[in-house]
Amino acid sequence: MEYNSMTHSRIGRYSRSVSIFGVGATPFMDINDDPELEGLTEGEVFGCAAISAMEDAGIEPRDVQYFYHCSANPAFFNNCVTPNMQVAEWMGMRGRGSVHHSEACCSGYVGLEQAVMAVASGTYDIVLSGGAEMATGLPDGTKPACFRRRITTDDIYPDLVKIGDRAYARSIIGGMNVGSDNWLDLYVRTYGLTDKEIDDTLNQMSYNGRRAAALNPLALMRTPFEDLAKEVGIDDPMEYLRSPYNPKVSQYLRVTGNAPAADGAAAVIVAPTEMAHLFKTKPIEILGIGASCLEFAVPQLEMQATREATRQVYEMTGVKPEEIDLLLINDFMLGSQLLAAEEVGYLPRGEGWKYVLEGRTAFDGDKPINSSGGRTSYGHAFGASGMADVYEAVIQMRGEAGAHQVKKTPKTTFLRGFGGGQNVRAIILRTAE
Amino acid sequence: MKLERLVKPYYDALEEGKVLARRCLECGAIEFPPHYACNKCGYHATEWVELSGHGWLKTIILPAPTTDDARLKPYGRYGFGEVEFDEGVTTNVVIYGITPKKRKVLRERIANGEKVGVHKKIVDLGGYKGLHFELDEGE
Ligand SMILES: [Zn+2]
Repeated sequence: MEYNSMTHSRIGRYSRSVSIFGVGATPFMDINDDPELEGLTEGEVFGCAAISAMEDAGIEPRDVQYFYHCSANPAFFNNCVTPNMQVAEWMGMRGRGSVHHSEACCSGYVGLEQAVMAVASGTYDIVLSGGAEMATGLPDGTKPACFRRRITTDDIYPDLVKIGDRAYARSIIGGMNVGSDNWLDLYVRTYGLTDKEIDDTLNQMSYNGRRAAALNPLALMRTPFEDLAKEVGIDDPMEYLRSPYNPKVSQYLRVTGNAPAADGAAAVIVAPTEMAHLFKTKPIEILGIGASCLEFAVPQLEMQATREATRQVYEMTGVKPEEIDLLLINDFMLGSQLLAAEEVGYLPRGEGWKYVLEGRTAFDGDKPINSSGGRTSYGHAFGASGMADVYEAVIQMRGEAGAHQVKKTPKTTFLRGFGGGQNVRAIILRTAE
Repeated sequence: MKLERLVKPYYDALEEGKVLARRCLECGAIEFPPHYACNKCGYHATEWVELSGHGWLKTIILPAPTTDDARLKPYGRYGFGEVEFDEGVTTNVVIYGITPKKRKVLRERIANGEKVGVHKKIVDLGGYKGLHFELDEGE
């Protein structure tokens, strides 16, 4: 069946080249019941990530002319609206122009796009963009921000409905609930995978991600599956992953195929590439960012929007899929990792699952994907996750990722942002000459 | 353009058992659910059209702990899936009459090129009606 019931567009070149000169991130955490972390607030995590990004770039808050702040849903998680001028107070930017935006789990990628456009247009030279989310809890009534309670599924399910169109999609229901199962189902049907083959592939992705996260000090879930398996008397981690200890929660995804919520923040500093002399880091250029957004009622929305955004960015930049050294996919539903990797041309169509099973997509494989551990092991601080991926891309491209550094230092990185109902961004970064 | 209500007439029509959509005044594509402009070609104007409420089942996803919708329980076993309306537009919907066993059989039949028919089943979702579907052949 042809999936093409949407309009298409092109993107043009930036008026001037823009690069990333600073990155900062907090760990992705669960602050509940942790005496060292309990009571952390949105302003503190954002401020920490933002000031870390400035330190990395070698600048002070007074040097930053404008900033973008994002979170997936500040009304729900933070009991406030337009928190941008509130976080400005935390980083010495009182009075500066700023924007708050929310595109659910795609917010961070959109934040990079907006900051790049602000600099490329010539309006500003030094711009900060960051995302923060305290996603493991909720405000405790009307008390100050440091008083929170743990979130439950009863809290979050009624809120998730809000990402679907209220005029129609919520009454039609279908698209709201098929999630990533729909694209996985298409893949399984098209390439004739058995139930066991797709299950093993998804479990291998969980395993690969956890191996990277175990070596990444910023990741939330760092206990190797070997250890979790041994705790219940199972020797083989893959056997553990396909056991009732890891039950199915959707048609294809098991518990480990869904991202655990996290608290955290990440931020970047962007500026014209030609101003590199102002900063202490080497520039990582943003070559282009494609964009496409589709409502839930549209069949195969993730596939179609990924295809559209990817075509835009390849056309505009002239970059070929074979030039990509590292791929970062927002895979809060794990299937996206494989499916989007094939859609952007990083893995051959219909063959990607074999690459996964052979370990080639692990952080230390020859086709690394989600070297940070991915959403399902790194954790998911919704509105901050996209910026955490930008952080990961930059430290990998600088060769500063430490124990989870990919084998060949990436020169070109592709990021596929995804989230909400649903926003997609296709971003290409390249180490500037 | 003229300010016009489309959402309310859509739900009013469901109360009478009718399914309304729009048709593009330039390319003729069906716009469902109803909106002002055409999302196929990007032309600005559409007009009302009534759909047959019949279509063809393309895909089936079973509800699971994270996707099950408790409101649908009174109407029987169901699945999610893509339905192509007789009028040519495809959308994600709810289809009643789907069980795990039935899904397996239907998937094979669809893979073999068989057309599996579905028709509208208009259900009460708590003070308003929603357009869902059921298998022509029953459960
Ligand atoms: Zn049209």
